[in-house]
Amino acid sequence: MSVERVFVRGVGAITALGANWPASLQALADGHGAVKSVTAFDVANFPSTVAAAIDDFTHVGDRRLALARVAAHEAWSDAGFDDNPPAPARVGIFLGAESGRAPLATLLGLTRAAGGGARFDHLQFGAGAAPLAAQFDASIISPAAVTSALARKFDAHGPAVTISLACSSGASAIAEAARAIRLGVCDVAICGGVGADVDPMMLAGFGRIGALTSRGLSCPFDVRRDGFAVGEGAAIVILAREQGDATVEVAGEGRSLDAHHLTAPDPEGDGAARAMRAALKAAGIDAVDYVQAHGTSTPLNDAVEALALQRVLGRHLERAHVSSVKGALGHWIAGAGALGFLCAHAAVADGLVLPTANLRESDPACALPHVFERALRKTVDAAMVNAFAFGGANCSIVARRCA
Amino acid sequence: MRDVYISGAAAVSALGFDWRGMGAAVLAGAPGFSASRQLLDTHGTVLGAQVPVIPVQIDVDARSRKLMSHPARLAAVALRLALHGAAWPQQVREEIALYLGVGASGCAMDELNRMLAESIAEREFSQERFGSAGLAACNPLFAFQLMNNFTLCHGAILNGTGGANGAFFSRGTGTVAALAEARWHIAAGECARALAGGADSAMHPVTWAQLVRDGYPARGYIPGEGAGVLALSADAGGALARLEKIAFHSARAYAQAPLRLTGEELADAASDDLIVLAPWGSSARERLHGALEGTRARVVDASIVFGDALAAAPALAWCAALDLLQQGQWRRAFVLSAGIDGGIGLAVLGHVP
Repeated sequence: MSVERVFVRGVGAITALGANWPASLQALADGHGAVKSVTAFDVANFPSTVAAAIDDFTHVGDRRLALARVAAHEAWSDAGFDDNPPAPARVGIFLGAESGRAPLATLLGLTRAAGGGARFDHLQFGAGAAPLAAQFDASIISPAAVTSALARKFDAHGPAVTISLACSSGASAIAEAARAIRLGVCDVAICGGVGADVDPMMLAGFGRIGALTSRGLSCPFDVRRDGFAVGEGAAIVILAREQGDATVEVAGEGRSLDAHHLTAPDPEGDGAARAMRAALKAAGIDAVDYVQAHGTSTPLNDAVEALALQRVLGRHLERAHVSSVKGALGHWIAGAGALGFLCAHAAVADGLVLPTANLRESDPACALPHVFERALRKTVDAAMVNAFAFGGANCSIVARRCA
Repeated sequence: MRDVYISGAAAVSALGFDWRGMGAAVLAGAPGFSASRQLLDTHGTVLGAQVPVIPVQIDVDARSRKLMSHPARLAAVALRLALHGAAWPQQVREEIALYLGVGASGCAMDELNRMLAESIAEREFSQERFGSAGLAACNPLFAFQLMNNFTLCHGAILNGTGGANGAFFSRGTGTVAALAEARWHIAAGECARALAGGADSAMHPVTWAQLVRDGYPARGYIPGEGAGVLALSADAGGALARLEKIAFHSARAYAQAPLRLTGEELADAASDDLIVLAPWGSSARERLHGALEGTRARVVDASIVFGDALAAAPALAWCAALDLLQQGQWRRAFVLSAGIDGGIGLAVLGHVP
């Protein structure tokens, strides 16, 4: 059975290091980082006080949508579809997104409506929440709202799919899009992910479980790592059945569930290894030249990912390089895997292998062929991106050079 | 591509904990509504299609419940029942794929209240107190009630399913996308077994406040909840039905052109076929009924029995359709789902050849 090929026709991103992907890529290649103290709100006493926020980006309404729009427009133009758009019925949208957050003032209003005490007063809430409900904007909460809005913007009449798989949402959305093209469900897919999580609730929630860096340092695979830094941004990819000018294709995808623990990865990396093996098998290869790791900068996750990479790639790891963009741009949660895919794409398309920012002394438990300080230039025929989520949902994608 | 069969099913619905009998109830059009326990204190008597108290034998353990949103609990129970019904060997669980349509997870409001109540200083909200006393007051794993993917992950962890997976946020048709993905996996030979379905509840106090604000109850919206799961495989032996077709479209496709389902996707629905509707609110219901004018197939509406169960609605309708198909009266069952944002999905179930 011949398998339909899926080509990467365009990419776009807005990050804390650049308003578009080329600017971001250059800054990443130069070893810059964007993780710094949060200034948008008071983080005194928070478990973690740093993030990679896009400080100079102003928007109205849903920040996720505003960011995704910027990246999607860039990717669409990069694909050359501005003047020659595909048939609407053949365009699908596949987006990784989590719920948006209501403003803290709204949450506070809700809790006051429920009595404001330590218990939720249901009776009071019933009476008090009705007028407050007028302040709700459901569209900034719903993950699907971003997908729907992009479908309207780009006149996409094909499938509109929203993946909410936490940290593997963006990568899974790209995987879903590639599959939809292979199966003939659509010819063109706008896919990727967005994260806009530099807000009090996110820093509170992840801080409370000890997942964030208290040192204020995002340094994947480093001995000093103590948690991740939240980041924000959007990364969008245009996939297509027709090759056009594309030099990179999505060669294979693999997914798995650890089915192990809510927060901790399988200690042997079995789930991660199964996702990677499935992606390599689908691509018909057993090695890659570069891995854009999930590499969150959390002690356990980085070590387990390193173990899984060693198990899967074995001796092939010697001629590969591994890095994580989260050292520079933090963790975008639902957008993370899509940003990782863009890094893998840059490696294959441009021979640009990005460094892991802030990696100074690699942890012996993370013995990998790291990239320090600045980008390397080398020929990359195939690259793999990993995205592993809280709850144990794993996704790996292989991007490959195409003639 | 391989044929895909339904090897088992499970439903947690207003009718209880068995998918059998759901079809008969839909056919009879007998509402299973009662006063919502979850909404009683906040909104008085609200009629809804609520899940009965879950028997302890099939429920998740007390510790897990503390970490779960209500829909995650419903999903975990349905997954357990579906695996039991499919009778797949324990040793294959690591390879079983799992795809669910999920909604916004409703958290335990006490947690939020406790956190914010501790964040007040001199009658005003203090971000500084929020960062210290506020955070200290809430369950450290509070975030895992909120994250949508945990509707899927809790069930996977408890039941040990380790294959390919996806949580599709659903405003009606994401759940159909979940079924499509599971079917593709099996049809393409990438896995041998998959679970696909949806879980959600419209009875969270905040969800209901929003629905009231948007005028849904005034337009006949009945809140529902539940979880439905189909167990899929490429094995026709002992299968309950064949999953013949899946299609789903974005809202955009139907915003510009009037809904014409009878044209393409239901063109060959005949008088011995059955059409089961799973609309999201009255507007979607009217659109679906309007689009089906003139069809020769029998049309029934699952929401009459199960209310509007958001991301769970399509999955509950599949289970009802499966039950009706088992009665042997119909050749095929077309299950049409329409989302609040206009998206539309179709699943066609037929007999095993």
